[in-house]
Amino acid sequence: MQNRVIHLSRRALMLSALAMMGAGLYLQPGAARAQAQVGQPAPAFSGVDSRGKTHRLGDYRGRIVVLEWTNHDCPYVRKHYGSGNMQQLQRQAAAEGAVWLSVISSAPGKQGHVTGRQADELSRERGATPHAVILDENGAIGRLYQAKTTPHLYVIDGRGSLAYMGGIDDRPSADPADSAGARNHVAAALAELKAGKPVSQPMTRPYGCSVKY
Amino acid sequence: MPKAAPARWLAVLLLLLTLAAGAAQAGAVVETEHVRAELISEAAAVRPGQTFWVALRFDIRPGWHTYWKNPGDSGEAPRIRWRLPEGFRAGEVHWPPPQRLPLGPLMNFGYAGEAWLLVPMTAPGRIEAGTVELAAAATWLVCKEECIPEQGEFALTLPVTADEAAATSWAEAFAEVRRRLPQTLDGAMLAPLDADTLRLELGPALRQVALREAWFFPDAYGLVEHAAPQLLSSGEGGPVLQLRRGELRGAPPDRLTGVLVVTEDLPDGPMATAFSIDAPAAGPAAGGIGLAAALLLALAGGFLLNLMPCVFPVLSLKALHLVEQSRAGTRAVRLGGLAFTAGVLLAFLAIALALLALRASGEAIGWGFQLQSPAFVLALAWLTFALGLWLSGVWSFGEGLMGLGQGLAEQRGALGAFFTGVLAVVVATPCTAPFMGAALGYALTQPAAYALGVFLALGLGLALPWLLLALFPTLRRVLPRPGAWMERFKQLLAFPMYATSAWLVWVLSQQSDARGLAYALAGLLTLALALWLWQASRAAAPAWRRLGGAIGLAALGLLAGLLLALPDGRVAGGAPPAGPAEAYSAARLAELRAAGRPVLINFTAAWCITCQVNERVALSTQRVGEAMRTAGVAYLKADWTRRDPAITRLLEAHRRSGVPMYLLYPAGGGEPELLPSVLTEDLVLARLAGAVAARAADATVPGQP
Repeated sequence: MQNRVIHLSRRALMLSALAMMGAGLYLQPGAARAQAQVGQPAPAFSGVDSRGKTHRLGDYRGRIVVLEWTNHDCPYVRKHYGSGNMQQLQRQAAAEGAVWLSVISSAPGKQGHVTGRQADELSRERGATPHAVILDENGAIGRLYQAKTTPHLYVIDGRGSLAYMGGIDDRPSADPADSAGARNHVAAALAELKAGKPVSQPMTRPYGCSVKY
Repeated sequence: MPKAAPARWLAVLLLLLTLAAGAAQAGAVVETEHVRAELISEAAAVRPGQTFWVALRFDIRPGWHTYWKNPGDSGEAPRIRWRLPEGFRAGEVHWPPPQRLPLGPLMNFGYAGEAWLLVPMTAPGRIEAGTVELAAAATWLVCKEECIPEQGEFALTLPVTADEAAATSWAEAFAEVRRRLPQTLDGAMLAPLDADTLRLELGPALRQVALREAWFFPDAYGLVEHAAPQLLSSGEGGPVLQLRRGELRGAPPDRLTGVLVVTEDLPDGPMATAFSIDAPAAGPAAGGIGLAAALLLALAGGFLLNLMPCVFPVLSLKALHLVEQSRAGTRAVRLGGLAFTAGVLLAFLAIALALLALRASGEAIGWGFQLQSPAFVLALAWLTFALGLWLSGVWSFGEGLMGLGQGLAEQRGALGAFFTGVLAVVVATPCTAPFMGAALGYALTQPAAYALGVFLALGLGLALPWLLLALFPTLRRVLPRPGAWMERFKQLLAFPMYATSAWLVWVLSQQSDARGLAYALAGLLTLALALWLWQASRAAAPAWRRLGGAIGLAALGLLAGLLLALPDGRVAGGAPPAGPAEAYSAARLAELRAAGRPVLINFTAAWCITCQVNERVALSTQRVGEAMRTAGVAYLKADWTRRDPAITRLLEAHRRSGVPMYLLYPAGGGEPELLPSVLTEDLVLARLAGAVAARAADATVPGQP
């Protein structure tokens, strides 16, 4: 009797292990999960921007790259564009020689989805100066980086490894009034990378609307 | 009355409408396009000094949802900023268990349909006004696919009453929501499985439950991947949930807190229950630096054990033996050192194996468990007494074998050294329990081989100084020269032994009744008489010698009989604790916590010397007693002198395997603070002041989620 119980539970264990592997495969197409992890090489991607130009991460070897997930209708994105916070950060990044790529992973028909022309128009209207706006309609880059929110920011250092991922700052709210005195994690990471120091807060909680895959 | 012109009527109407709108703005209800939010109270009136429940309740439009305290991959938890009349105090938000809200590859935690943010509100002891207004500004995020941040100003006006307040029509709903709030689940443990996976062991409480489904909602971001499947399986110690680790990698977390929702198959359909979980990490997976560090710590701990009061007399014998032996050959000394080490290691191994075997069979026991057995305590009392008599010179053994040749003498020395080692470990246990509780508790949560390694390292540490002295003759130069002083010293050492024996008899008196005490004392008398007779007969004619042997055997038989006849000390409930302390029970603790009182729990046992010393010098003093009374601290005593699985589980929940342990729960709620194992009066006073300060701070800063 005792033996039988042990035998059964072992079989159950194996079955459940198999089931979990199956679930893992199902949920993560492309099985080998090239996960975005701080300190590891940033997953390679290529994407087409609002003007039809293709950008590969490898093109920017030797330069710092900032990825910004965005959705212009999300209140949390509006908080940072409405106050000029995001534009200011883009100017700081450019001044430090970094490449700023805004990524829109909203699926067609969902909030935040735009055409190339609309994307450029939005940049003009808001005074935004990204190096490029990448249209990631099928969400491939978003899923690769496990982008969860808009905004969600990533900083990749000159050697191509991920140096920062997370929120824009430490005030997870949609209220612009909360920004006063916030710690801008991205500005801090850029400054630290420039000074040759390790990023002191390399991972923070991203906050905002969900990415509309 | 002259007829009013229509324009004037219009003006009056407009004024009324404006007033109504103004009232609605400051009212208890805020309606937006997506929710209807209302500030409600369970009681229809406020009674001074009373704590009553209020809630911000949301009716959410179908398809939309609001968020839990951890919103998951996106979203934002609602926030309340209270503006309360003077003296009113809002507690923390009590969040009902959330739902999973999957969204593509993402997972959110929140509420659809209806959401309650329950808040306990405490009124001051004196209220001058006839009515009070509880006002709050709240912000919340409501999402479907898209998200809308919303906000509202709420004001709830309640009359003040001197009597028991009547209930509002919401009272039943309040009770229902409270019933669904997470209950505390003790005994959950966290074990990292590999770099990607955490094992959340749910503990024995859920072992007998037919779980259909379980989901763990972490309190905080980053430790658990919100969207990953959670695999439920059954482990030895109860059900186990496997969780994929979240973005915050690096060192495994040292604890995991959150809410577990289990769905149970009952005869009349599935039923969901929520538990709040605070699972301490059981330690890193075996191997690697964790093991090396644990072994080193155990080695150092064992070394320090040499100085403990219960071990010292036994090891002084060892020292004397060594001094004596230094006259003999180096070989004999080495052999003795190795034999002593072997005795120590084997004894530790035996105890560890017994402990592991008992735990594997489901017994809730911890280190020091031997001393929870009255028979063991009694046997130990007799043993130490017999050793004391030997040191006093009442009896001796072995002389008759002298002169049978050097070889045999060496062997005898080795055998003696071996049993000295065993003896040292046996009498060391009451000291190891308080001293090594944390380390051994940690070891016991590890796989068996790992735990045995830690125990053996502890034993090696205990034997190490003697082993080194035995192996390296140069070290022995520090030892004093042998001489007549040794006999006096030996006699002096008898007294710590008698003291140990007396203490053990006192421990027994706590575990057993008056009959047990009588047995113990009768045994001591028998032992003294028998040993004296036996010794006296040794020098006499063979017939007398045989008689002496027979008396010795008869005495042993009598002692064994007494041990067997020893009343089982498990008196239900135990003796009521002396002084201002109340006996601990989970129910009493929950009651005191619900009332918001600070609570000090003293985990103690009669056989734990450290516990007794702490009580004398730090817990039972007049100053501490007064501090407790003025701070309104409830003092509970969890007595582990006898076995008590409930207390064992609580110890384990705090990663301890033995007593002493001191938990101080702050006023008004929150995590308990673990006080050090060695207490001083000043330290206790400072911590008590901290617990009161927590209450004072609570009173001035309105609670905010």
